[in-house]
Amino acid sequence: MAQARLSRRKVAALLADELIAGQNVTNKLAAYLIESKKTRELSLYVRDIEAALSDRGALLANIASSHQLADDTQNTIVDYLKKKTGAKNVYLRQDVDPSLLGGVRIETPDQRLDTTLRHRLNQLTASKM
Amino acid sequence: MTNPLYNFATTEHSASGDIFTSLGINGQMLLFQAVAFLILVFVLSKWVFPVLMKAVDDRQEAIEASAKAAEAAEKKAADAEEQLHELMKEARAEAKDIVATAKEEANAMIASSEEKAKSRAEKIVQDAHEQLEKDIIAARKALHNDTIDLVALATEKIVGKSISESIDKKIIAEAVKEQA
Repeated sequence: MAQARLSRRKVAALLADELIAGQNVTNKLAAYLIESKKTRELSLYVRDIEAALSDRGALLANIASSHQLADDTQNTIVDYLKKKTGAKNVYLRQDVDPSLLGGVRIETPDQRLDTTLRHRLNQLTASKM
Repeated sequence: MTNPLYNFATTEHSASGDIFTSLGINGQMLLFQAVAFLILVFVLSKWVFPVLMKAVDDRQEAIEASAKAAEAAEKKAADAEEQLHELMKEARAEAKDIVATAKEEANAMIASSEEKAKSRAEKIVQDAHEQLEKDIIAARKALHNDTIDLVALATEKIVGKSISESIDKKIIAEAVKEQA
């Protein structure tokens, strides 16, 4: 991990492999970023790790909705994501945002699905001439 | 019967014996007067008549010159009058042409002005139509945008309060189903 010349994708792939193996990589990633003075690139590394996990069949999806999602709704979303991406395992990271009004926003490393009413209202407002 | 005149002549002739004497004519005196007359004629013809004749000739020449000058002046006046008539005729013709040209130019200017005014009026009307259409489009856009804002605001206010968890669940399920 002390290889400062490793590319971000390679680091992300290594960490993704370790995550799949059940290891905690948080400390390693933090140490690497501090040592290589790349703490500002944290979000980029996280995104690349998520992409690498997705390539390995483990999809991490960020879910945002106005209400806490019920279990059956989460299962519906997981099934949808598995079918859509071919991932074996899907992990949801939920976020409740009342300003979304309704619907759900699903973000994966390479896709984004926004069915929230807030998004539709924004689209309607953006259609102004 | 005897003629009385014949008697008288006979009587007188016989009385004097010389006719000049009887008539009271002195021969010497007669000769003297004849010579004086000749001298007078000579003097007059030598010094007086030429001067008088010259004066008369000069006067006549002056009169003739004056007459010629008057005739020439009259002719010149006639020529001048004729020339004046010609000039007046030409001036009238020229003035007529000028007036005609001015009328034509004025008509052309009026026609041009009318054409310009017409085209300008048409341009104004066209601009007004275009501006009106722009205003209508702008008003429609404003109405459209205001309606969107109003709908968005109303939807946000109404839906934000009325949507329940069950409805939200249904919405999410339908959305996922649509995407699948």
